[in-house]
Order: sequence, then C-alpha cells, then structure tokens
Amino acid sequence: MLIDAYKKMFLIRTTEEQIASFYLKNNIESLVHLCIGQEAVAVGICDSLQKNDRVIGNHRSHGHYLAKGGDLKKMICELLGKEYGSSHGNGGSMHLIDSSVNFIGSTPILSSAVPIACGSAFEQKYHNKDSLTVVFLGDGAFEEGGVFESLNLASLFKLPILFVLENNLRSINTRLWERRSSDHDTQKIVNGFGVKYIKADGNDYEDVLLKVKEIITDIREGVPALIECVTYRHMAHSGPFFEEETREEDVLESRKEKDSLLKMRREILSSGFSEKSISDMEEDLIKNVNESILFAQNSPFPNNEGKQTNIHV
Amino acid sequence: MKVNKQIFMSNRIITYTESIREATDQIMSEDKDVVVMGLEVSYKNGADGTTAGLKEKYKDRIIETPQSENAVTGMAVGAALTGMRPIVHHGRVEFAMFAADQIFTQASKWNYMFGGGHPVPIVFRINIGRGWGQGPQHSQSFYSLFGSTTGIKVVIPSTPLMAKGLLMSAIDDDSPVVILEPKWLFSLKQNVPTEPYKVELDKAVVNKEGSEVTIVAYGDGLIAAHESLKLIGNSVNVELIDLVSINPIDYKTVIKSVEKTGRIITVDTTNGAFSVGSDIIANIAKTESINLKEKPVLLSCPNTPVPTSTALTENYYPTKVDIANATLSLMGKQNIKDELTFEDLNMPPNLTL
Repeated sequence: MLIDAYKKMFLIRTTEEQIASFYLKNNIESLVHLCIGQEAVAVGICDSLQKNDRVIGNHRSHGHYLAKGGDLKKMICELLGKEYGSSHGNGGSMHLIDSSVNFIGSTPILSSAVPIACGSAFEQKYHNKDSLTVVFLGDGAFEEGGVFESLNLASLFKLPILFVLENNLRSINTRLWERRSSDHDTQKIVNGFGVKYIKADGNDYEDVLLKVKEIITDIREGVPALIECVTYRHMAHSGPFFEEETREEDVLESRKEKDSLLKMRREILSSGFSEKSISDMEEDLIKNVNESILFAQNSPFPNNEGKQTNIHV
Repeated sequence: MKVNKQIFMSNRIITYTESIREATDQIMSEDKDVVVMGLEVSYKNGADGTTAGLKEKYKDRIIETPQSENAVTGMAVGAALTGMRPIVHHGRVEFAMFAADQIFTQASKWNYMFGGGHPVPIVFRINIGRGWGQGPQHSQSFYSLFGSTTGIKVVIPSTPLMAKGLLMSAIDDDSPVVILEPKWLFSLKQNVPTEPYKVELDKAVVNKEGSEVTIVAYGDGLIAAHESLKLIGNSVNVELIDLVSINPIDYKTVIKSVEKTGRIITVDTTNGAFSVGSDIIANIAKTESINLKEKPVLLSCPNTPVPTSTALTENYYPTKVDIANATLSLMGKQNIKDELTFEDLNMPPNLTL
C-alpha cells in the first residue's frame, strides 16, 4: 500500500529533520550525513526485499537502516553516543547496524561496503540460502576502483547481489561533470562487466519498487544487477544544514516539484485519504521521533572506566 | 593446545611451505566454512606451494580470484562477517597494500565499531620481506604498519613448526589475524608433527635461556640470531626470544628477560625508523623494574629502499656476524672476523633446525 510506504518515508524524513534541529539547538557537531530527499530509494528498495535479505550501507544510511526495519530508538541513541545505541556508542551515525533485521552494517569509506557485500552474497550462495545482499553506494563511490573490481567479482562468481547506485549528482560538493568526462557511460561500464543495469527515478518510490521487482527473482538465482536511482540530496553533504549553493538541476524549485514525499502525499490525497488523516498520521510519527530523542537524551553514556573494549573478539 | 615437549619429539622433517600446506589441509578437512582465496592458489605450485594439491581435494573451496586485491580481500571480509572463515593469500606484501582499506580500516575495526558481538574471523596470509633480486617493490616489510594498526592480531612464523601451529590458531581465532610469512624462510626444514596442534598467537617464545644478553628477534631476523649463537659459542650467555607476535607484543616475556640480563639487542630485517625494535627499546626504557647495564642495541636495515643487486643487499641486512659482534661488544669481548660467504649473504637459509 502506498500509505505504508509514505509512512516509512515520512519517518525517515522527520527523524532526520528532528535530529537536524536538535543538533543545531544543542550545538552538537558530531558528523551526520542526512538523506533528506533520497527516501524513495531506501524505501523502494527495501520494500521489495524479504526479511532474510541483507542490506549494507554507507556514510548516509539512516534511511537504509530505517527502511530495512532498524530500531529507531537504538539509532538515535547511537547518534547521541549512548550505551543503548545500536553500536553502544562506538560507531555513531556512520556505523549503524541492526542484525535482527539483517541490516548488517554500514561503513563510510567510499566503496568499502561494496566488496564486503559481495562477501555476504558469496556466503549466501555458498550455503545455498534463498536470500540476497543489497549494497547502497553513491555516485562518488562509483568512481572508486573497488566498485569496478566488485562488479567483476559479482559477475564472475554469479553472486546474488543488488548494487544500488544512489546518484544524487554530487560527491560532497563536486558536480558529476567535474568528475567524469562527457563520454562516461555508467550502463556500458556495468554491462561491460556482465552485470545487469537498470535505471530508476530515485525521486519516485513506485518507479524504484517496480524496477527492482523486475530483476529481483533473477538476482536470487545468481544474476547480479545494478540499479541506478537518480535523486536529489536536499541537505549539505555533512551536518544538519540545508544547502542551496552550487546547485544546478537540483535547485529548490525542481526539488519541491519532484520531491518524492510531496508527490506521494498528493497521490494519497487524491486516492481518497483526508488531509486530516494524513496529518494526524504525520503528527504521530513526529511525536514518536521526538519521544525517541528524549529517550536518547536521558539514556546513559557508555561507561567502561577508560578501558577500550571489543578491539578483539 | 600449547607448544609442548611432545610436539618437538616428532620425527618427520618438512619445509616451511609444506608445513603451511599441511595446516591448511587439516583445517579444511575439519571445518567446511574455511575457504582459501587468492591468485593461483588452485595451481600446482600456487602460493609458493602452500596450497599445492588442495584444489583437487577441496574443489570449490580453493578459490582462484581475479587480480583485484581490494575487492577480493573485501569479499573475504564480507564472507567472514556473515559466518565463514576465509584465508586470503597475498603473494607479496606490496600487493596486499591494494587491500589496505579492507585490512586496516574494515576487518580490523568491524567488531569494535559495532560495539562488539560482530566478529570477523579471517586470516590474511601475506608473503613478506627479503628475497634475492626482488628489490624496492617486491621485498618491503611494512612491519610497523601491521604492528601499529589496532584491531588485528599479527604474527610472524620464524620456523616450520611455528608456521603450522600459528596458522591453526589463527583460523580458530574470531579476530582478524595477519600472518606475515617471510619468504626468506621458505626452504627451512624442521621436525613438524603430522597431527594438528596450535601455537599461541600472542606469546613470545624463549628459544634459548640465558643470563647475560637478551636478543629479541622475529621472522628471518630470528634465524640470523639463531645462527649467531654458533659464532658466539660460550663467550656470552645469551637469552634468545622469538617475538612471534608484533600485535600485540608480549612485553611480559621481554621484560622478564631484560630484568634478568640488563642488556638488550633487537633485530629488525627492515629499516629502523618506527621499527619493532624502536617500540621494544622505548618500552624497556620506561620500565621501572629494569636497570640497563648497557645501552640498548637496535640492529636494523638502513632507512633506504631495499636495493636489488647482491652487491648492495650484502650491506643492507643485519647478518649473523653483526648480531654476534653486537652481543660480544655488549660484554666487552673481542669481535669475530667477518667471514661470510656469498651463500651466507645472498641465499635463503637452507637449514634443518
């Protein structure tokens, strides 16, 4: 149901908006990479998965984590460095994990997660599991050699893996045209390794869902694929700030027009839901997030008496 | 299982590489989640013979990989954190550097950064160090990189006996373990038990007890030090320690020895800057219970790239004569004359230990 997807996407957005305002109010300077604007990709992909499918993320993975069903309170506690956090305060925003829903980790060094995801898919194939692995990477990561090596591995070993290329047109601040020649062709690169390529509108939940559904059965059979989702990142690369400078096609007007949440909200309204029922639902989600932030604020910090733990198993 | 007397009573002599091959075989027959990945590991003399014949026996578990050290290592890391126990082989440490992110930043930090409970049981077998004609880009050592990176365990087998026992321990460990295998030692021979056994990963081994000078060495330096004992004879009562692990360093064993002898020589077969010896001497210097009788001695290579020509490498690595003379000098004894042959200086030790 569209309304369920909207709920998930709204949860991701409001979580990040409340976190951003909380950080600003409290002068928190800890790193946070927000995905506001990109929610349709996370939810569209995760809605097409089984629970035993695995997801691995990157530096911008609050959305991926929540879309896979990761625990909200644990995520916010992790952001605030608390013991109850998903990584007990050792990871922070860039190292989220919730094994109970098979969100098996996120790691922020561009492209590092991609070969690791191949390893997870290798394990699934080795043990004849019916599950697959999804890895999220950005357009910046798609310029790292490890990704090309991984495409080759996925194809060579027939791994059940879906590479999700979230192309938000910018790596930190740099634009695509600054980083790639005009002859660059992502599809040819991907196909050249023997990996299926499919493109979706990353600002459109239904398009992402539909495109993934076309290929997901094949992926489980060991036909790896990459889906490129072109989307807009509304916020700064890092930090709780809205960003407007140096934008080209993803300017404020087009973002408003193409924003996945606004678009979906309009569709839900026209399908018969009342404005009040939608805004009540939104209010509930905002309340839930703010309660989680309060919970995290009142939660204890980790205390290991200065001793570093878990360096080795 | 510790190294014990029974192990040394074995009566079958094999080489360092055969010892690694045997350990791998025995591990693989025990645990189906162990796989070996690397270049040419499925070939007859692949990985210097350390995987010879295993492809026939284990088929899909000896995995030939593309020339993509970064992604192949990452794939092994991913398989390890989802329940397998991979062994990754890198034929030269310089090639492992393509996988530096996966070793130093991913595998090593995974369990810590997720707050524990997320083990990465992986073994990185990396060929390292000197070799005739290998030069600046095929015989670097990078020991300090591996020693100073948190979250990995790093061992250097100095003998065939250690090579088998350490590999068997490494694959059973739930942390990432790097085994740096000095190719200089590959033809060493020794009595190695046919049955499986383990050697502790984080314990230095006192190879010879003594009271006057402590020599701390590892890998090919340990073998040079071992050979120097014959030159020193009864002149000095040397305690020789095989460091075994450089991450962590077993300071308990080193300190206990230097408390007794009051004299220390460290041997690095790489350049001295940020070396294992520097770390040991710094720690000895700040240990309250130690009163050094003489200044510590750090034997190492010069801070230059590794040369290629034998005419240059002859002056690059500390020799058994250098170690013997450093030891004799510490005790105020007369040095011996350098009578090293071309074979001594340039050929890997063809010893039976």
